[in-house]
Amino acid sequence: MSKKRTMQEASFLILTALAGASQHGYGIVTDVGQISGGRVRLKAGTLYAALDRLTADGLIEPDREEIVDNRLRRYYRITPEGAERLAEEADRLRANAHAALSRLRPGVVTT
Amino acid sequence: MTDQSPLERRYRRWLALYPQSFRGEHEEEMVAVLMQGADRDQTRPNAGEAADLAAHGLRRRAARRFPGDWERAHAKVMFPVRIAIALWLCFITAMLVGFGRGELWLILLIPAIAAHVYIAYRIRPSAAKR
Repeated sequence: MSKKRTMQEASFLILTALAGASQHGYGIVTDVGQISGGRVRLKAGTLYAALDRLTADGLIEPDREEIVDNRLRRYYRITPEGAERLAEEADRLRANAHAALSRLRPGVVTT
Repeated sequence: MTDQSPLERRYRRWLALYPQSFRGEHEEEMVAVLMQGADRDQTRPNAGEAADLAAHGLRRRAARRFPGDWERAHAKVMFPVRIAIALWLCFITAMLVGFGRGELWLILLIPAIAAHVYIAYRIRPSAAKR
């Protein structure tokens, strides 16, 4: 049931950030900023609400932990199920984008 | 971690809005993210950060499962216990009303009965898989 729900953008961007490599909280914040072209700057509350839910749904999991400058860094990595969900969601978004572009500019969009 | 900066103490004060369980899991990570994201000369959380922590923290608190996980895990035992308590309270209520005394106690007894019946309903055997 919840699997078929449309993914929120924060979750989509976090999974995208983790699809490359496992990252810790602040690494995810900066990476999501880059992926979104500076448009999305995750705040701590939003980030950890999403990480907690994605973990509960089995789409990501805690990886290793490090202490840097007396601060805890817990790394998260994407699970195979998370990668699958991200791919599905990306396909869905591409289909939507394609539909929109092909109607706005008929004949221009071919892929 | 013994000498915290004023900024860190203020972040932790906002984090205190989260339920204990969530803080045990994520507080140190979140402090790390907040401190790393703070400006060099920042001494207090900005309004956006504070509002974000307050909104998510309070939402977490509101979403805590009721009845709790322990009760759900022991639903087989607790379901009859809750029913028995509710029936016992009904009996006490009937006695009080029957003997025409202590109607004021009904203010306490009726909500208590309702609460036990509600919990029993939420952990009823047919809902065990939820």
